[in-house]
Amino acid sequence: MTRLGMVIDLKRCIGCYGCTMACKAENATPPGVFWNRVLVWEEGKYPVARQVYFPVQCNHCQDAPCKKVCPTGATSQRPDGIVLIDYNKCIGCRACVTACPYQNRYYQRETRTYYPGVLTPFEEVGYAKFPPKVVTKCNFCVHRVDQGLQPACVQTCISKARTFGDLDNPESEVSLVMRNRHVFRLRPELGTEPSVYYLG
Amino acid sequence: MASIAVGEQSDNAPTKVKDDVWINSSCNGCYSACGIKVHRVNGVVVKIEGDPDFPHNLGRLCAKGNAGLIALYNPNRVKTPLKRTNPEKGIGVDPQWVEIGREEALDTVAAKLKETRENHPDRMGMCHFDTNAAPFIGAWTTAFGSPNGYQAASGYFCGAGLHLATGLTNASFHCQIDLEHCNYAILFGSQLGFGVGHCPNITTQEMSDARIRGMHLVVVDPVCNHAASKADEWVPIRPGTDAALALAMLDVMLNELGIYDAEFIQKLTNGPYLVGPDGLYIRHEQSKKPLVWDATAGEARPYDEADASQTPIMGQFTVRGQSCQPAFQVLKEHLRQYTPEKASEITTVPAQTIRRIAGEYAKAASIGATTVIKGQTLPFRPAATNMYRGAYSHAHATHHAMAVQLMNVVIGNMYVPGGHFGINPVGPWWQIEEGIDGLLVCGKQVQMGPPPYNFLNNKPEPPKSHKLTSLFPISFSSSVSQQLAFTDPEKFGLAPLDLMIQCRGNVMMTTVAPDTVAAALKNVGFIVSFANYLDETAEFADIVLPDAHYLERMDPSPNEPYTSQNPNSGYWYWRLRQPVVEPSFKAPHWLETLIELAERAGFLEDYLRVLTTNTKTRKPLKLDLHKKPTLEELSDVWLRTQSGDDTKGLEWFKEHGHVKIKRTLQEEYPRLALRCRVPLYYEHFLTAKGYVEQVAQELDIEWSTIDYTPLISWFPCPAYEPQAGGFELFAVNYTLPFHQYSITAENPWLQEITERHPYAYKIMINSETARRLGLQDGGAVWVEELEGRKVKGNVKVTECIHPEVVAIACVFGAWADRKPISRGRGAHFNSLLPFDLKHIDPISCGADACARVKVYPA
Repeated sequence: MTRLGMVIDLKRCIGCYGCTMACKAENATPPGVFWNRVLVWEEGKYPVARQVYFPVQCNHCQDAPCKKVCPTGATSQRPDGIVLIDYNKCIGCRACVTACPYQNRYYQRETRTYYPGVLTPFEEVGYAKFPPKVVTKCNFCVHRVDQGLQPACVQTCISKARTFGDLDNPESEVSLVMRNRHVFRLRPELGTEPSVYYLG
Repeated sequence: MASIAVGEQSDNAPTKVKDDVWINSSCNGCYSACGIKVHRVNGVVVKIEGDPDFPHNLGRLCAKGNAGLIALYNPNRVKTPLKRTNPEKGIGVDPQWVEIGREEALDTVAAKLKETRENHPDRMGMCHFDTNAAPFIGAWTTAFGSPNGYQAASGYFCGAGLHLATGLTNASFHCQIDLEHCNYAILFGSQLGFGVGHCPNITTQEMSDARIRGMHLVVVDPVCNHAASKADEWVPIRPGTDAALALAMLDVMLNELGIYDAEFIQKLTNGPYLVGPDGLYIRHEQSKKPLVWDATAGEARPYDEADASQTPIMGQFTVRGQSCQPAFQVLKEHLRQYTPEKASEITTVPAQTIRRIAGEYAKAASIGATTVIKGQTLPFRPAATNMYRGAYSHAHATHHAMAVQLMNVVIGNMYVPGGHFGINPVGPWWQIEEGIDGLLVCGKQVQMGPPPYNFLNNKPEPPKSHKLTSLFPISFSSSVSQQLAFTDPEKFGLAPLDLMIQCRGNVMMTTVAPDTVAAALKNVGFIVSFANYLDETAEFADIVLPDAHYLERMDPSPNEPYTSQNPNSGYWYWRLRQPVVEPSFKAPHWLETLIELAERAGFLEDYLRVLTTNTKTRKPLKLDLHKKPTLEELSDVWLRTQSGDDTKGLEWFKEHGHVKIKRTLQEEYPRLALRCRVPLYYEHFLTAKGYVEQVAQELDIEWSTIDYTPLISWFPCPAYEPQAGGFELFAVNYTLPFHQYSITAENPWLQEITERHPYAYKIMINSETARRLGLQDGGAVWVEELEGRKVKGNVKVTECIHPEVVAIACVFGAWADRKPISRGRGAHFNSLLPFDLKHIDPISCGADACARVKVYPA
């Protein structure tokens, strides 16, 4: 079986937001919607202190809480693990937004534009891809992955922090980068089995 | 597929053409110019990606590069030529623009050009930071007859101290580290490998690999920025004291531990040159060559006539009855004053930390070790320091930069595996050359300004251009000197500007003291701005012409090989930037308009002649001097010349994007070509001192020359002096990997992430300091400098900053009315900096970028 997943090396990540911007361009997400974010906080006490950069996105959980609560079946999961939302079926009830323990789902009442009052040609094309009043989130760039390409955030990452591939294949790049490293997933106690792994 | 679709266009509607293509081009999110592939569907740009085959970025792209496309569609772009109707100029004064036709605009400008060129061509100033079109613009200014070709519009702080230090010591324009082999790196005020700086994209990939491999990284900086946060060790330092720290580390290495590369110093530096009590070399009576002691012969001989392996770098000798010492011995003794204890008082870095890091660095250098690369044995010195703006943007920039650079020189890591690298001093058609006294200099192609030893052959006389070359004879950078002259031309015996052409840069925001700049701009007779937005500088223009976005531009030389290609990629590469879309309004490349203007003003032939003779191309450019070339024709000729393959012209590049050629081993490791010596003692500074003093005397101006000492020292900045009245903090500026210059602040995607970033728009202040001053996180404050300049912002209370420091990021805090995205967001750091000689380095002409401030609630 193929189980697609992503590994994010936090030692490599420099918090440059290349992933966030590549995602925005690839998926034409409107203002306020970030399928791919970088959380920034600090830890330690001067002079032993540092900023921490922590990229987050949909974890494509194997046991996805969002899928369970969807009343219309709009959220589904492919055999390879990618969790998708069918905008035709989504009624915008936002049960999934509440259910996602990672806060990676977005609902927008109306589509705003980046230049107030102006719909740029890019946005005109891009925003046509999803209507307002539905929930959206990272889909691992499924349209790219199905063409054999890497997700946009992986492709662009200038510190080579991201890898993507088949978690079930022990020789895949994602499996190889996890060897001999401290590996963790977010909130394992919930049993959601995320497909996004972090290297500490 | 590389064809350009042309179709019906309107401001907001996409073209009706059905197309779906990926077009090879070149990014311009910063000056670095990564290779990009742009996806265009039905005339609309929908995605930009890196080109995986291009060595400059290997397919990857930073936030700025990814976000570039939304700026293409910014509705606030200048779309038509504009004429000012309000003669009054000033900050906040409405120019009362009226739209005019392109013909009227060009006629007006051409008439001004003609008039100025006939009467006083030197009164035309060209102010820009268009690094990708620089050779073409430079030739235009020269052909016009003006020596005042500025590159002052951005990058005001970036390089002065650095370019001088590297120009003198590594024969290149910049510095890098061989990250593939380095085991211990110390960054001083530099975020090399963290998405900013020189070749940021590929260097970040290399840095990431190096850190994973286990390279130890130390970052010296008042701010725990992106680099410091990812380092093995952050060393917070009081601003403006990096030289003191580096000199103390050198003292530990040379005097406490005795670790240095004696063989390198002996054979490839001026360490053995004998120095007399007056600080000058002991020279041969006839040839005037510096003498070294030849131990075999038991006598002093010219440096190039002695057996290099027998020339001591320490000891005391007597030549012609005069007592003298090798330069290295003099340096080593000089360093004894910088004990870690003394440096600790200056820098606030604990003495034990200084000793420990110096020791770790020296040991990591593995002096004596060699390695074999492609069958060739080379010294292996896997330790290096690197500097950038934070370390040397101070009043004594040269000494800061040189002190950090000396840490490379003494371990002999120049251009060897694991060590310090300059940028491409040896290339397919250029070499490291010999300057004076056996010392290295850049090849003439690499040299940006006048060669550093040229002044020795020139008469000390008042400056002839705004570059003020005779007052800054060793400087490699003229951004600041040009602003000095521009602000007060009479002081330097120069004429004011009657005409200024300004493009791709925003001097009001990117240089210091906007009040001073505004006063100077008001004094210029007529200003033409090529602008994307009606920014703070365009507000002073008389005529504004729309400038092209980079996705609309054609540039045949975005990756100039002498200063901008990545030295560690293993390749040489040439790429084309080509238009991906036609603009929905007429916004040609400003070069195209300049060529048109040259024709209208009657100097097109002169322009083409200068272009063919002055540019540093691989082979001579061949142009028909009597025919106005299109940008396509110029690009075609340029690309054929530069790629070295006459069959590869514009059409080839449009389709294929780039050529890349493997470097020879000598081009990869220029140590193999190093025949001249690296100076560690700067005897010619003493000559320069006298020279500059004579120039200043002729001009009857006060001019400090205390920095012209042959030994690298620490001098305190004005901000270092203790101040009463609550001015107890230092304000510094730092950069973020998702912004560059002032222009990215107007990108709404980048703006949105900046807004969400905890530090970006805020004023960083240490938690202890905030508590003491009664400042709350998020609270509004004024930051005020000694002369009363102040900026307002919101506090970010943090552990990630030195307690004596407040930090403001990037070039934020725009105030132009027609920049709605960036206007009023963040604080404008440069507004805190005064513009006077005290805050300018007398040698490199670098600007001081730290200010003594007080912070209080607003």
